[in-house]
Amino acid sequence: MTDNQTIQPAPLDVRPVKRPIWQRISVVWLVPVLALVVSLGVAYSSYANQGTLIEISFENASGVTADETVIKYRDVTVGRVEKVEFAEGLTDVLVHVRVDKTVAPYLDDDAQFWVVRPDVSVRGITGLDTVLGGVYIDGSWDTEADVAQYEFVGLESPPQTRVGQRGTVVSLRASDGSALSQGAPILHKGITVGNLGTPQLSFNGNDVIVDAFIQSPYDQRITSNTRFWDTSGFSLRLGAGGVSLDVNSIASLIEGGIAFDTVVSGGAPVRDSQVFDLFFDEGTARSSLFSSPTQNAEVLNIDVLFDSSVRGLSAGSEVRFQGIRIGTVTDLSAFVVTDQQEQAVRLRTNLAIEPSRLGLGPDATPEDALAFLDGLVADGLRARMITGNILSGSLQVELVQVATAPPAVLTRDADGKGIIPTTKSEITDVAATAEDVLERINDLPIEELMSGAISMMDSFERLANDEDLRAVPSSVSALLDEARNLVGGEDIQAVPADLRAAVSEMRDTIAGLNTVITGANDAEIVQSLAATIETANTAVANIEEATRNLPAITARIEDLTDKLFAIEIEGMVDAATQTLNSIDVLIGSDATADLPASLSAALDEVRLFLSEVRAGGAIENVNSALASASAAAQAVETSVEGLPALSARASRLVSETEAVIQSYGERSRFSAETLGTLRDIQSAADAVTNLARTIQRNPSSLLTGR
Amino acid sequence: MAGSGTASPLITAREAGLVACQRCGRVHDRATAVCVRCGGGLRSRDDTSTQRVWAWLIAGIIAFIPANIYPMLLTNTLVEHSESTIIEGVFELIHHGSFGIATIVFVASIVIPLGKFMAVAYLAISVQRRSALNQHQRHRLFEVVEFIGRWSMIDVFVVAILSALVQLDSLATINPGIAAFSFALSVVFTMLSAQSFDARLIWDADRKSPQ
Ligand SMILES: [Zn+2]
Repeated sequence: MTDNQTIQPAPLDVRPVKRPIWQRISVVWLVPVLALVVSLGVAYSSYANQGTLIEISFENASGVTADETVIKYRDVTVGRVEKVEFAEGLTDVLVHVRVDKTVAPYLDDDAQFWVVRPDVSVRGITGLDTVLGGVYIDGSWDTEADVAQYEFVGLESPPQTRVGQRGTVVSLRASDGSALSQGAPILHKGITVGNLGTPQLSFNGNDVIVDAFIQSPYDQRITSNTRFWDTSGFSLRLGAGGVSLDVNSIASLIEGGIAFDTVVSGGAPVRDSQVFDLFFDEGTARSSLFSSPTQNAEVLNIDVLFDSSVRGLSAGSEVRFQGIRIGTVTDLSAFVVTDQQEQAVRLRTNLAIEPSRLGLGPDATPEDALAFLDGLVADGLRARMITGNILSGSLQVELVQVATAPPAVLTRDADGKGIIPTTKSEITDVAATAEDVLERINDLPIEELMSGAISMMDSFERLANDEDLRAVPSSVSALLDEARNLVGGEDIQAVPADLRAAVSEMRDTIAGLNTVITGANDAEIVQSLAATIETANTAVANIEEATRNLPAITARIEDLTDKLFAIEIEGMVDAATQTLNSIDVLIGSDATADLPASLSAALDEVRLFLSEVRAGGAIENVNSALASASAAAQAVETSVEGLPALSARASRLVSETEAVIQSYGERSRFSAETLGTLRDIQSAADAVTNLARTIQRNPSSLLTGR
Repeated sequence: MAGSGTASPLITAREAGLVACQRCGRVHDRATAVCVRCGGGLRSRDDTSTQRVWAWLIAGIIAFIPANIYPMLLTNTLVEHSESTIIEGVFELIHHGSFGIATIVFVASIVIPLGKFMAVAYLAISVQRRSALNQHQRHRLFEVVEFIGRWSMIDVFVVAILSALVQLDSLATINPGIAAFSFALSVVFTMLSAQSFDARLIWDADRKSPQ
């Protein structure tokens, strides 16, 4: 309106020129196009260069953070965690990792992943960088690209061996895993040549199994003759050579270690995961060289039911057969058996017996071993507990042939498990041994001997003091004298002469008669005949006279004989015989006869016990053992104190008795026997005296055995 | 506004058959092609202006996308490695309780660019169609956009300064991410877009529409 008023000229016909479209379009349009292209290019390249997404499942992914935790391969970062989440059911943690494209093809089935965390051990400190930088996932895989994989199961701990690391893995079986720790070194001649994996319980729970990795080329040293033993800690040995202290590396001291050696050549090469026994110490390991260390063969599990305490027996205790270790005790348990309404506790001891050690060959099966034992049990094989170590009181199970055993068979329980019958156990522990010694000493029939000796001496004294017995010699000699007198008497002496004279007179008479008869008709004959008859008459009269005296002599002899009988020689002989018998009984009694033997047995026992104590070398027990031993010695001393007096008395008695017996004459059987008996007594008494003197003079001889 | 209520309406130079030098401001006759004072080219209206505005604007928007997707700062310290986009940085600041700084960053890096995009786009559209705002208001809007444009580079400056300062090798390093570059481009493009805008077109649009 106002415009029209001011602007007069007619509106100009301004007609814009139609320029071609490429002229009308601004060059600036290139900018957004360029920007778009660049943006798309960047987007594509970042998408194209994006790594491959893999998924690793861990049980424990502590410290793993999305976008921060990286994954490293040989210490080079090759990826980054994108997401951490739980698997379905919250069982595992799924870690999604974006790994570089260049690396992804190599992630195949041999790839291992584990989370590296700081680890401080005696071997050193590892993963220190993770203290500040947080944990990272370490990976290990070989350099060959097989079939690529996108899902992996992560390890909970760094693998024992890196992929590509060469060596041999064997399994070690130990009864106790307390000395084993993961990563502990394996030493060979003091050089670390490998390490241990994580100890794990074996499937049956009886053993601890740990994998041992031995690096190449040291693994060539391992054959079936190789023995592994535990070197953890140190060993202190007291021996004739003094004290020897064995300490391995400090690392193995603290976290345990394993050493191995192959002494005997010619073993078979090992295969991977071969099982070896882990021995408690080097000595055991070496001494086991002549039995097979690989016990892949099954063991025979068999039970023994002990009804006495199994204190001292433990899992791992040895089972011996004829002195050879054939297995171990694997389990101890108590259970109640009901037997005719009576409940009794039995102690079930499970033995793991290695069939190959029974001499049944390396391929023997448990069934073979059971059949073998079946036969042995029928022949008297029994199980018993014996002392393994006298100082520790540990026990072993021993299978022994007992000839006198009541018949028994190898029974089977409900599960078909064999049960070996038992026999009386032979357990000697220190206390028991000392007690046993004391008991033996106490049981020595010293009292009995003394009382026997005393009663014998009493009877001897009684015998010696017996009036009758005393009277014997005098009365006997009186009798003999009388007899001698009688015989030597003039009357008796005269009798023969008288008789001789009478006979010669008679002979003369008869001769005279003969002369008379031959001279016949002589007057003188009659005269001489009459004279002869006269003489004969005289002779007869003489004879008569002599004969008249004979009855008196006879009577006197009879009298004398009567007197002889009256001496009661029978009673005396009886008494003497009785004494003799009682002496015989005393001397012949086992107790007396055994006295020196049992004393020396007791001493032997003491000596054995002491040698065990000495050999055992456990200082702390020696004192108590000494104390008990000197108590034993004291007891011996006390009990033998009376011996000198006794023996003195015995000697006195013996000499007295001897004197008495002497008077009976040396030749009689009675006196010979009596004297022999007395000499025996004397020597016994002397032995006792000597013992008593020895003990009194040197009580320590009981201890030293010298 | 003062302009809208005046009884005597203003006329444009174009309506007066004149053309002003955009560089030195001298007024010439419409037919004059070159400024007699400074020698600059004279055009009553820039035909390609709207085109260029849109072109730069689209380029700016395109650049703005990676600026928000990709990380702005790459922070490597001994302890951690972190990348954060602009919006993550804002949330992180909020998380740490720095609401003031969070607001500044948010406004400078998100609100202003977006506002600029919208403002420029609005202006570009408004010269072709009718607008709710009158020409004066739109002029003022244009001025605000032009003025404020440079301040949206604050984030880029922060990144540049930090990247330059914090290069302590393994201990701590801060590097600009792709987003920093894209964001700077986006800001530049938007500024160019705003500059390409021929504000005189605002008048023409007003003139056209009532007729
Ligand atoms: Zn000019």
